[in-house]
Amino acid sequence: MDSKEVILLKKALERQKKARIQAEKILEEKSKELYDVTHHLKETNSKLENLLNEKTSELDGVFINIIDPYVVMDLQFNVINMNGSAKEFLGYDHTKEHLNLSQLVHPDYIEYTFESFQSLLEVGTLKNYRAKIFTKDRSEKWVQINSSIIYDAERKPIAAQGIIRDITQESEIKELLSEQKKQLDIIVENSPLGIVLTINGKIIKVNKAFETLLGYSQQELKQLHVKDISTPEDKEGSINLLEQMNRREIENFAIIKTYTRKDGSKLLAKTQVSAVRNGEGKKDYQVAIVDDISKEREAEEQLISSQNRLSTLILNLQTGVLLEDQHRKISLTNKMFCELFQIEASPEELKGADCTDAAEQNKVFFKDPEAFVMRIEEVLKAKKVVLSDELEMVDGRILERDYIPIFNNGVYKGHLWTYQDVTLRKNYKQNLEIQKEKYSSIIANMNLGLVEVDTNDVIQMVNQSFCNMSGFTLEELMGKKASDVVKVTDPQLIHEKNRQRQQGTSDSYEVEVSQKNGSTRHWLISGAPRYNDAGKAIGSIGIHLDITGQKQLELQKEKLLLELEASNQGLQEYAHIVSHDLKSPLRSINALSSWLMEDYKDVLDENGVFNLRQMQEKVESMDRLITGILQYSSVTNDNQECTSVDLNQVITDIKEIIFIPDHVQIKITATLPTLLADRTKIHQLFQNILSNAVVHIEREEGLVQIGVADMGSHWQFSIADNGVGIPKQYHERIFKIFQSAGTKEHSTGIGLSIVKKIIDLYQGKIWLESTVGEGTTFYFTLKKER
Amino acid sequence: MKGIVFTEFMEMVEASFGLETVDTIIENSELPSEGIYTSVGTYDFNEMVSLITSLSEETKLPMGDLIYTFGLYLFNSLGKAHPEVIQSYNSPLALLYSIEDHIHVHVRKLYPDAELPTFKILEKTDTSISMIYSSSRGLYRLAHGLMEKAFEHFNGSADITYELLNENGTEVKFDIVQNG
Repeated sequence: MDSKEVILLKKALERQKKARIQAEKILEEKSKELYDVTHHLKETNSKLENLLNEKTSELDGVFINIIDPYVVMDLQFNVINMNGSAKEFLGYDHTKEHLNLSQLVHPDYIEYTFESFQSLLEVGTLKNYRAKIFTKDRSEKWVQINSSIIYDAERKPIAAQGIIRDITQESEIKELLSEQKKQLDIIVENSPLGIVLTINGKIIKVNKAFETLLGYSQQELKQLHVKDISTPEDKEGSINLLEQMNRREIENFAIIKTYTRKDGSKLLAKTQVSAVRNGEGKKDYQVAIVDDISKEREAEEQLISSQNRLSTLILNLQTGVLLEDQHRKISLTNKMFCELFQIEASPEELKGADCTDAAEQNKVFFKDPEAFVMRIEEVLKAKKVVLSDELEMVDGRILERDYIPIFNNGVYKGHLWTYQDVTLRKNYKQNLEIQKEKYSSIIANMNLGLVEVDTNDVIQMVNQSFCNMSGFTLEELMGKKASDVVKVTDPQLIHEKNRQRQQGTSDSYEVEVSQKNGSTRHWLISGAPRYNDAGKAIGSIGIHLDITGQKQLELQKEKLLLELEASNQGLQEYAHIVSHDLKSPLRSINALSSWLMEDYKDVLDENGVFNLRQMQEKVESMDRLITGILQYSSVTNDNQECTSVDLNQVITDIKEIIFIPDHVQIKITATLPTLLADRTKIHQLFQNILSNAVVHIEREEGLVQIGVADMGSHWQFSIADNGVGIPKQYHERIFKIFQSAGTKEHSTGIGLSIVKKIIDLYQGKIWLESTVGEGTTFYFTLKKER
Repeated sequence: MKGIVFTEFMEMVEASFGLETVDTIIENSELPSEGIYTSVGTYDFNEMVSLITSLSEETKLPMGDLIYTFGLYLFNSLGKAHPEVIQSYNSPLALLYSIEDHIHVHVRKLYPDAELPTFKILEKTDTSISMIYSSSRGLYRLAHGLMEKAFEHFNGSADITYELLNENGTEVKFDIVQNG
């Protein structure tokens, strides 16, 4: 080993030694450190232990002293520990018997309980678990539990602890409250009174009735202030009171105020407002109860006015009224009473006056004073209703007195006297009887038969005339059925008429009756229903007139008319047949004479031809005569047609038909009317007059003028000619058949009689004015409407 | 830095280069501890840097290789000192996988103030592992040596490649693929 190596080793060794010393030093330091740490730990440990003990005992105390039940259970719900309160509450003692809390839970809450427990396990705490449980005595309890999980040193959950609060009562109160609130709501909503809740006049809530009263909806009202629905005149009053309430000067008030409805109409209501003070004293509510008193007010006013009317009525009654109370003091009397007994005081002043001596004082007014007093005493004693006591007074008046005792619930409360002056009524009755007698004698002696029957046709009354008419005596008629005694040819008619009477109909009719002696008479009966006081039909009155004489005359007349008609008819037919039958031999004569003329014209001398001609003319004339008779007889009312006839047209037609000599002109001076008539007849009428007129003109210039004038109900026509004229003595005759003024061969004397007949049909007249040598004017009228 | 690293380093230098080299690098390194190390003590890391720098100058070998060699050496020493730690693994990959969660936890029990590197596992299969070494010391070659030796310990081998994620080597990605 060389020295270098030795030195190196020595150095290394030196380093190793030093390293060892260093290591030892480090170790020593570490040992010391360890010791210190251990020591410190020990101290800390013992401190912690003390602390723990302290806390444990503190907590024990707390739990023991917790008023609420406190329970510790394992995770399977088995009770590990519980305090006295819990034992008391649940009724179990875990030291004496095993207790599993899950078995106490009400079945409805099992699921909720397990969910809650899961949540407890996850979170570590659980607040406000609420459930129903059964205690040992099987009573149901509401509990609220706040619980937490207990962990071991390694944070593993090992148990749960909880504090139970019995909220059974709370829950019950809550339920009760909500029930009461519901009831209250029902009452409020169904109250007929309007209910309003306000804060400082602002509407917060109203009930249905208030909505209905004002016509606003809840929503609309919530936007409004009390003053919005108050009428201006009421606004100040209610706002003032509300302010007083807000200042806490008053707690409630009641006013009658007018509200304005949504539609603007008014509502009078009694309003009671109460303040509802909030506990904090901050917000004050006002509850107003609104009662619609429009109707009450109206009724009250009506009552007052009807009372007024009644008292006025009583005061002015024509009956003396005296109302006494049970002490015989006057409660009410009236003017009439004062007048009857000549009392000078007014009815008002008599109130309260004592009536005990009244009878004695007033007896002087009566004819029999003692009887009056006795009767009053008697009546007062009996206390029974007495009506219509008649009293004669000294001055001749007669009074009727009623007594009415007044009982209230069976207790005598006084009585009412009424006195009525019946003097006039009595007099009226007498007058009435006199009048009745007077009329009765008239009825008895008048020439008309009078019968009263009831609804069953039983005779109630007859007069003497009826007895005479019918031939029966009064006894034979009274109380009998009218139709049984007096035999009528047509009983059905009487029956029908009686029925009509009951319906209130009056009328007249004719009947044929048999008198007692069997002879037949005709009566005209005027019947009218009879009514009682109530206006009910109770029968009928019949007035009978014997019209047998008139009836017979009438029958005769009818018979004559019929006969006349028949003979007229015969005559007409006769004329027609005769004229028709005459025509045919006439035609033969005409034919024969023509042949004679033709065959022997040359053989006959001049005279013979002339005579033959004359014969032919006479035959023609005879033919016209017969045609005229035919026409005349056919002018009757029968078979005529009414059409619109334009006279102008008629004249034009006639001008074409008739022969008008060349020197004659027919002129219409005024436009002629259009008539409603039988065309043929009107034609005949004008043709006959015109054809007469034109042929009787001998002047060089003949003129026939037709004129018309409106005479109101008639048209008046005029036909004037300037012909030869008609002498005065013919003016009447010419209108008669077969009469002619002229000597002309063509004149048949029938034309104007047809004219006359037609004018008669149209209810007109015909006349003429004529001067011989100057001319003739025919006038005739026709009725416009028939 | 823990004293055990210094004492083991000195052991390796003495074994590999002789006592003289030990003395030389101590003398050259102007150490505050004067080269006196005990495994239970704690010394400035700069002393290690000085010692390695001195060794590299003395032996003319690169520092990285020296540190790698130290890693190989250190595995054996640690394995002898705490055999139960290695025995609890039946494969080198499992051991590597558990550095952070298991081995370092045990280290801290003995040396609560030890400043340990961290290994962040990126990927692991049955035959490979890739992880990021990170330490302010930048001794990734030490880690490389320790890994190499670990495979050797379990009679295996592996292709260990690494990639510096920064210049200082304080962040290094290791990809280890087991052979066979």
